[in-house]
Amino acid sequence: MTKRIISLLKADAGVSDYRINILKRESYELFFVHRDLETVRATDTTDIKVTVFVTVGDKLGDATFSVYSSYTDGDISAEIEKAKAKAALAANLAYPLPANEEGLWHSPSNFTDHTPQDLAAMISKAVFSADSYENGSINALEIFVYTDRVTVINSRGINKTELRHSAMVEAIPTWNGENESVELYECSDFTEFSAEKVSANIDAKMQQVRDRLLAKKPEAPISCPVVLPAQELSGLFSDLAYNMNYAAIYKHTNAFKSGDSVQKDLTGDPLTLTMKGQMAQSTGSAAFDGEGFTTRDAVVIEKGVAANGFGSVRYAHYLGKEPTGNLACLRAECGTLSDEELKSAPYFRCASMSGIQVDVYNDYIGGEVRLAYYFDGEKEIPVTGISISGKLSAALSSMRLSSSETTHGRYSGPAYASFEGIEIV
Amino acid sequence: MAFSAFLNSRREDCKALVEELSKTYAYAAVLGADVRSSLIGADRTMSDIGEGSLSECGFVVKLHNGRSFFEYSLDDISGDKQALAQKITQALSVSAAVSESCISVPVPSDEPLVQSFERPCDFENYTDEYLLDLAKSTVSSILDSSECMVNAIVRILPFTVSKLFVSKNRMLDQFYSWANIICMGVYHNGEKTVMPREGTYSNLMSEAIAALPARIPVLAEKAKKLASAKPIVPGVYDVITDPSISGLIAHEAFGHGVEMDQFVKDRALAKEYVGKYVASPICNMHDGAAAALSTASYFFDDDGVLAQDTQIIRDGILVSGISDLVSATELGTAPTGNGRRQSYKRKAYSRMTNTFFSPGKDKLEDMIKSIDHGYMLFETNNGMEDPKNWQIQCTAEYGIEIVNGQLTDNYVSPVVMSGSVPDLLKSISMISDDFKVIGSGSCGKGYKEWVRVSDGGPALKVRVKLA
Repeated sequence: MTKRIISLLKADAGVSDYRINILKRESYELFFVHRDLETVRATDTTDIKVTVFVTVGDKLGDATFSVYSSYTDGDISAEIEKAKAKAALAANLAYPLPANEEGLWHSPSNFTDHTPQDLAAMISKAVFSADSYENGSINALEIFVYTDRVTVINSRGINKTELRHSAMVEAIPTWNGENESVELYECSDFTEFSAEKVSANIDAKMQQVRDRLLAKKPEAPISCPVVLPAQELSGLFSDLAYNMNYAAIYKHTNAFKSGDSVQKDLTGDPLTLTMKGQMAQSTGSAAFDGEGFTTRDAVVIEKGVAANGFGSVRYAHYLGKEPTGNLACLRAECGTLSDEELKSAPYFRCASMSGIQVDVYNDYIGGEVRLAYYFDGEKEIPVTGISISGKLSAALSSMRLSSSETTHGRYSGPAYASFEGIEIV
Repeated sequence: MAFSAFLNSRREDCKALVEELSKTYAYAAVLGADVRSSLIGADRTMSDIGEGSLSECGFVVKLHNGRSFFEYSLDDISGDKQALAQKITQALSVSAAVSESCISVPVPSDEPLVQSFERPCDFENYTDEYLLDLAKSTVSSILDSSECMVNAIVRILPFTVSKLFVSKNRMLDQFYSWANIICMGVYHNGEKTVMPREGTYSNLMSEAIAALPARIPVLAEKAKKLASAKPIVPGVYDVITDPSISGLIAHEAFGHGVEMDQFVKDRALAKEYVGKYVASPICNMHDGAAAALSTASYFFDDDGVLAQDTQIIRDGILVSGISDLVSATELGTAPTGNGRRQSYKRKAYSRMTNTFFSPGKDKLEDMIKSIDHGYMLFETNNGMEDPKNWQIQCTAEYGIEIVNGQLTDNYVSPVVMSGSVPDLLKSISMISDDFKVIGSGSCGKGYKEWVRVSDGGPALKVRVKLA
């Protein structure tokens, strides 16, 4: 199919340049209700997207269309014609396409040691091995095992393919009391399977969901530093990094720019944040982006100050900056807050939230807390039914980053961070 | 524009594959999807015409082997059906390590029905050139509305849906369309950047376009107000919700909890409340692809079940959940036409469609007058469900302070509502007599499986924690 498409694109004099993005995905999926296997799914699909570039004076237009497996040469030619017309209408500032690089990457993974069927079964066994508590259970489990072949080809000599393996586990740990039953939501993805890690992760959630049943809404107001876990830090730091994306800068949707202090009146640890293309064991890791550009890391915030931008060839060119490619992974440097120091004073440690709410434009951070641990200086108790709310700028200035490190999805960095000035309501 | 020629060309293939698979499986069905979506956009410096994110074309096969369910997604089903059936069966094999754990549920019913459905679509009356010019002129209008408007982003997003469902006894096809026009301003007053949004939508492009000019001054005025918005002082307040926030409550706070695949998994507290009061006695709530004409209005769902209007809450009492074929089969109930997939590549789940509170008898002005100090909340930002524990998090873009029964000029943004679902629903003390369904939503289940949804209703007076 790819050869047919290229042949038709090359034969059309009106096509200045082209790009073909191909994602071939095979998946194997198991869906459990409690411990019963309800549905087995498999997929074998290929997405082919063709972008046609048309030169219009000193401008460059582009338009993208999908090619489906049923398409004849006539269908593809008709789509090329339509795309040329669209591209001519939507001509923008010209930019150079990535060029003259070929390669085959194979992201490291131990998935190839097993069939997808066996791997999915092993993952389910690892999850259910942590389902060993009398009053606890996994009420639902979904397992997705993916094998992706990602290809980018363009008319300027880009021909890159990356083989990626990944899995995603969505589990619902549940704890049943006499009069009440509670649950938490656990979702993780990984590129290397370790039964021990999967079991340990689920077991930790089982203990948290047990605590959620015990948790009470505090009777008296709480005022102490708020501690956010890696999952929420990932969301917070992603929202900060967005402001240094070349597309955001070009479209004026960024709230701060290079040289601006992100942590004014700093009293905590300075934040250093790097956007990364490739990161070990991250499902977001990619050797090249959708334009076929080989990804390069970018330090976007350095010691609390907005530093370098990151982003695609197009927007980098528009801004006169060096492209890095679109980067999906995030690395934050650890700080100075040790477990011992954290435990030396009261804290409010969020363990499960509906999702951190960050509004950089309105200087807001907050969210609903489903489970937290309140340490009053002597003992730690689980609490629930609480929200947090505060000024983002004040929170960032006081932020203390843990010295311990973890990885979570596309994030690598401090396992937790402590913030002053966030209200617990 | 009409039903997909490609899917039409695969009707006999679908029937032949179902026949072949029926030799092995107790139930076999094929859903074909051909969704065409476009994006026509412009901002201050750029324009864009291309494919939208909803486009898909392929098939998903659903099977039941007398015990449990199986699905296989593929791009095309032409060719040797015996070989394809063997390939599907092989791909769906189960490791011996888990084969004993397969659930045992009845084979779904397959009532005979042959029907075609089509809703009028006027997209072919609008060329790419016309729509791009419209996007550009709208960008100009927004930029001209204020010197502080540093950028404007306009996106016109039409899509058409063709779906073909074939089982041993059913042959259904449907064609429908929807269009959204989304406008966003980037407003910078020297101190603060805000990005207000406005939008129009309809199954007809002509209606979406006709409604657009009136939104521009609203967007410009909102930008000025939001730029001066302050954070809210956290606390429990009397609140009036606009239709968007009423819909957010219907959807996030309660709707996810009545998706009956959650009943099967013992993930929904609502399962224990069917027939009981869950809300104020003046409260009524519906969901259904046939309950309103909006972005989630189809004729049959992705399991081949006809769309319905399901009353979920009647006079404060929970009367029904919503289900897909699998959960209904497991629960022994009739499916409600809520089986939906993100695409043919994904599983069908019980999903909401158009979800809303019914209108009440109160006048909005009387509702506002009844509040000494509180807020009126506007525009959905996001929300997150918690069906097991009935905790809510719903975020509004902004609120306007009410003092002594009058809306003031004091804006707060953003505003997060949280607390207990029953407390919130039972606190509903007034419901306005007007009604609006917002046709621009998308919804995930957990953090994935995105589908288009609408929600809305009248204004509600509630008491809730804001932060």
